Formats: sequence, structure tokens, C-alpha cells
Amino acid sequence: MSATPIIHLKEIRFRWPGQSADFLYIPELIVNKGEHLFIQGPSGSGKTTLLNLLTGINVPRSGSVMILDTPLEKLTNIGRDRFRADHLGVIFQQFNLLPYLSLVENVQLPCGFSRRKRANAGDMDATALRLLTHLSIPDALLDQPVSKLSVGQQQRTAVARALIGNPEIVIADEPTSALDSDNRDRFLELLFQEAEEQESTLIFVSHDRQIAERFTQMVDLTMINQAEVAE
Amino acid sequence: MKTLIRIVLKSAWHRRISLLFTILSIAISVCLLLGVDKIRKEAKSSFINTISQTDLIVGARGGPVNLLLYSVFRIGNATNNVTWESYEEIVALDEIAWSIPISLGDSHRGFRVMGTNTDYFEYYQYGQSQRLTFAEGIPFSEVYHAVIGRDVADALDYQLGDEIIVAHGLVSAEFAEHDDKPFTVTGVLAKTGTPVDRTVHVSLEGIEAIHVDWQGGTRSAFQLSAEQARNVDLQPKAITAFMVGLDNRINTFRLQRAITEYNEEPLMAIIPGATLAELWQTIVVFEQVLLVISGFVLIAGLLGMLTMLLSTLNERRREMAVLRAVGAHPYHILFLFVLETVFIVFLGYVIGMCLLYSLLVLTQPLLVAWYGINITITRPDAQQWFLFAVVLLLSVIVSLIPGLIAYRQSLQDGLAVKV
Ligand SMILES: Nc1ncnc2c1ncn2[C@@H]1O[C@H](COP(=O)(O)OP(=O)(O)O)[C@@H](O)[C@H]1O
Ligand SMILES: [Mg+2]
Repeated sequence: MSATPIIHLKEIRFRWPGQSADFLYIPELIVNKGEHLFIQGPSGSGKTTLLNLLTGINVPRSGSVMILDTPLEKLTNIGRDRFRADHLGVIFQQFNLLPYLSLVENVQLPCGFSRRKRANAGDMDATALRLLTHLSIPDALLDQPVSKLSVGQQQRTAVARALIGNPEIVIADEPTSALDSDNRDRFLELLFQEAEEQESTLIFVSHDRQIAERFTQMVDLTMINQAEVAE
Repeated sequence: MKTLIRIVLKSAWHRRISLLFTILSIAISVCLLLGVDKIRKEAKSSFINTISQTDLIVGARGGPVNLLLYSVFRIGNATNNVTWESYEEIVALDEIAWSIPISLGDSHRGFRVMGTNTDYFEYYQYGQSQRLTFAEGIPFSEVYHAVIGRDVADALDYQLGDEIIVAHGLVSAEFAEHDDKPFTVTGVLAKTGTPVDRTVHVSLEGIEAIHVDWQGGTRSAFQLSAEQARNVDLQPKAITAFMVGLDNRINTFRLQRAITEYNEEPLMAIIPGATLAELWQTIVVFEQVLLVISGFVLIAGLLGMLTMLLSTLNERRREMAVLRAVGAHPYHILFLFVLETVFIVFLGYVIGMCLLYSLLVLTQPLLVAWYGINITITRPDAQQWFLFAVVLLLSVIVSLIPGLIAYRQSLQDGLAVKV
């Protein structure tokens, strides 16, 4: 077997505080290096919850979350936050950017929390500008307030922020659901192009099946979630 | 850390309008608190410094505070006088080094006129044992001479050689003026910051001369001109009070008792320091109430800030989620609030101090001119730095409330912010 797992979930069980039964039970989920995973499922099926586990923001009640050969559940809270800062990039559905920072500062933000990303990024200004250009953000917008950007431009800037400092894994939680189809296709095009260039693994969540074909691996959360009462 | 500070500053700048008002309200309350504290301390020191080195003040028996008020502060009136014979008998005692007779009762355009002798210029002391000095001119040397305090000269624009007319009693009225016997200004005293500045000093003989043809409150039918009055025996029959300095402080209490037990007439002697302290005790209550009120104003300012911070919590949830996503720990989120709050309060405090100092600089000449209160502008004392530290500490405690809420929210929200 040449493929090495970059993500390996084993027997994880998770429930939110106050819930009496497990909300998620995933016997196994493996993502190998060089693959991109598409997670689909209806709204409320627990997609974001799963991402919270992958990013170490939440910890399963039992089971193992192995990311890049690191068992997240064995780390301390601070250790998990540091791990996320160093190895992961995150894109939200919307409102990714801090309104009081410039575009470039928004892109560079992860470097402020991770020495590793800072080292990887090298010349931070040049790297941020290069990423923004690659993601076709017009130069004229660079020193505009974030609020002047269209939603599509904001999401692409979020990609630049997720990619700066070469994280091994980029996690995107329904990043295209606020975009029209033209913008969505452009977004996916650029996201893939940059992720490939950096050899980052994409974990992409959406309820939009049309997107799935671009991915090498696809799971339906309702299928892999074996919890008895899946809300 | 550097990132967090930058985030705090930029985020604060982004919300600068609402923060500005919060900072301003803290600045104003700090200015008020420090201002009250300053005035309190200044009032006390100027109060305590009104008289110095005088061991006893002797007057007719009555309230000690009242004696102090009329003899030193020129407030109120004596109910009775001290006869000249008693005065002479007492100051002839061996223990007594010097004495200053005081005769009050007349006024000049709102300023008290005080009859005394030239020992006053030699022995009277105020502040830290400071003696009176002449800004211009010389002491009075004859019946119709007057020496005026600095404020009198400034307020009425008097020069050496000007003539002044003394009014009988304390309210100026046309019909009750000693206008037939004008006084000539021979000297102006240097500023003291005490009631001396607001006093017109004449000789005891001068006081006697203007009253020779008066009986009770009205002019008698039998008038004497100024020149004629000179030739009458101007030895006063009574004075209002007198101040005494002793050779040896040890004798103070013994002499005080002796004077109280004086047989010829009912007298009383007070120790100025002790009576000043007693008087201050009555003022101190008022002053402490003011201080407590200003303390509450400051607390209201801090609570206003808390309200502001809490009201922004919800709209800042996404901001926190973004920071969490890029690797911020919930501690960072907490720290963000602490830092922002300390920053606001620090700025507010510093602006409040600047505000106070500019106010002091601006009002200092006015306070001196109008109330004779001389406020010295000094650097913040240890107590005020301590207050600074306490307020900053309070702001940290206050910031923990929104900080911990944001901390808990960011733990709960994770990557998904449902707004
Ligand atoms: N912070 C939270 N605390 C408690 N319950 C939560 C929290 N976040 C999500 N949930 C619950 O988990 C379920 C799945 O939510 P989520 O993972 O966001 O679904 P999806 O992303 O697939 O739409 C929802 O029913 C929601 O009530
Ligand atoms: Mg979701």
C-alpha cells in the first residue's frame, strides 16, 4: 500500500452537551495523502460537527482522531489549538474576514498564530499578494475595506488565508453555498488549483451534489454515521 | 501576543466611535474623582496653613470654633470684647514671648478691616512658618495709615498713597461710613493664600480714632474732625482678641488654663492647631460625601463600559469564530477582552488626568482671584498612582465578565456561528 492516511478516524462517538445518545458514531473514516474528500449530507446531519472534531475544536467521547499521525484526543486543549494553527486551514460558509483588518492582513492572520506557517510563508507580504493574485482578486481591491468586496471575492480571500503557510489540510464548510453558480465554479477552480499546487488535502463539506464530481473521494454523512438516533 | 495586540488595536479602531464615548465617560469620571481629591487636599492644606506658630488665641468666652473663625478666618463676629487692661495684664506674663492684638468690626467695600499693631507684621506666621512680607510699601506708622492684603489691592486696584474710607460695621452703607477720616495706603502685603490677603490692616489707634465720635451704631451729634481726633487719647478700651506666642511650648496648657480661670472677666484661650483640627472634622464629612459620590461616578463609568462590551458580544461572535479557526485558543479570546478593556480604561484615565491638569492650569488664577484658594499643581501623589492601579485592576475584573462569556461562547460555537 503506497497511500498513507492523512486522516484516520476510528470508532469515534460524539454527543453535544445535554444529549442523551450519541449524535455521531463513525466506525472508520480514512483520507489518504493526495486525495480530496467531499462530505455531503442534509442540513443538520452533523457535517459541521464532524469538522469540529477534525479541527480539534471538539473532542469525541471515545475513539481516535488521528490527523497527520497525531492523535488529537491525546493532546491538551492548547495543544489542539496549536495543531490546528500549524497544520490546518479553515474556510467558512460566509463572513470569513475580519472587517477591521485589510485584505492582506486577513490573509496573513494565521501566521500570527503559527510559527510554522510563518516560516513556510517566507516573505509574508509577497506570499499574501501572490495568493490573492492567483485567486484573481483585483489589485485595486487590495487596500479597500473588506466590506467593499463581493461575496465571491471574500470567499476567495478566505481561500488565500486558508492556504497561507502551506497547511497539509484545508477544511471548507459549505464555502460555496452563498455563491451563485458562476462564482461557485470559479471558486472551486481556483481552490483546487491552489490546493494541488501546495499539495494540500481538501476536506470539503456541502449539501450540493453537483460539486462532488471534482473529488476523488466522497462520503455521505448519513451513511457513515452509525449513531442510532441521527437527528 | 503581538498579533493579539494588533488585533485589539485594529478592532478597537474599527469601533472607535462607540469606544470614544466610553473612554470619554471614564475620563470625565476620573477627572471628577481626582479633582475632588485634589480640592480636598488643597483645601485642607490651605486651611491648616492659615496660621502657624501662634500658640494661643485669646478672646471673650464662647465657642472655640467661633473664636478661631473670627480671629483667623475673618468669618462671623465676636459676641464680646477683651478689655485693654486684661490684655495688658496677660501679655505681661513671663511665659509670653510676643502678642498681637486684634480689633475687628469694621469693613471696607466687602473686606474686613482689622486693627492691630506693628507686631503683627513681625510675628504673624502662616503656612510652614512663613512671615508676612511687603510686596510694596511699609507698615503703618501713624493713625490714618493702612496696609492692605494682596487681594484687596488687586480687587479694588489700589496703589500706595490711595485713600480709603472705612465703613462702620460689616455692611457697606452710605450713612455709616467714616468718610470724614480717610486712611492712606502705605503698604501692600505679598500674597499669602490666607485670609490676610483679604484684610485691610490699620493701627488700633486708627480704629479708635474713627469711633471717637460714634456711640453705638450711629454718629453722635458731637463730631470731631480727623485732625481733632488725633489729639484725643487713642488708647483702645477694648480689643476683639489677641494672639500669643510663648517662649516655651511646654507652658501652653498651663497658660490656657490660667486664662480660662482669669478672674477679671470671662476669657477663653484656644490652641489654633487643635481647634483647626476640630473645625476640619466638621468639614471632612462633607468632603468625604463628595469623594464617595465621585467614586460612584467612576463605578458608573466602568459599568457603562461593561454594558458596551456586553452589547457587542453577539456581533463579535463571528470574529471570535474566525480567530478560533486560525488557531486562537479560548484564552486568547479572553485575553482579547481583558486587553481591550485595560486599553480603554488606561486611555480614559490618562485623558481624565490630562483633563484635570488642563482644568487646574486654566482655573488656578481664577480660583486665587475669586476665592483666595491657591491650588498648587503637583505631580500625582502616591495615593493617586495607587488609585490608578486599583482602577486598572477593576477594569481587568470587569473585563472578565464579557471575556468569560466570549470564552464560553467560542468553545460552544466551534466553527459554526448561528446568528
Ligand atoms: N454548539 C452546539 N451545541 C449543541 N448542539 C449543537 C451545536 N452545534 C450543532 N449542534 C447540533 O448538532 C446538530 C448538527 O449540526 P451541524 O453539525 O451544524 O449540522 P450541519 O452542519 O450538517 O448542518 C444540530 O441538530 C444542532 O442542534
Ligand atoms: Mg454546517
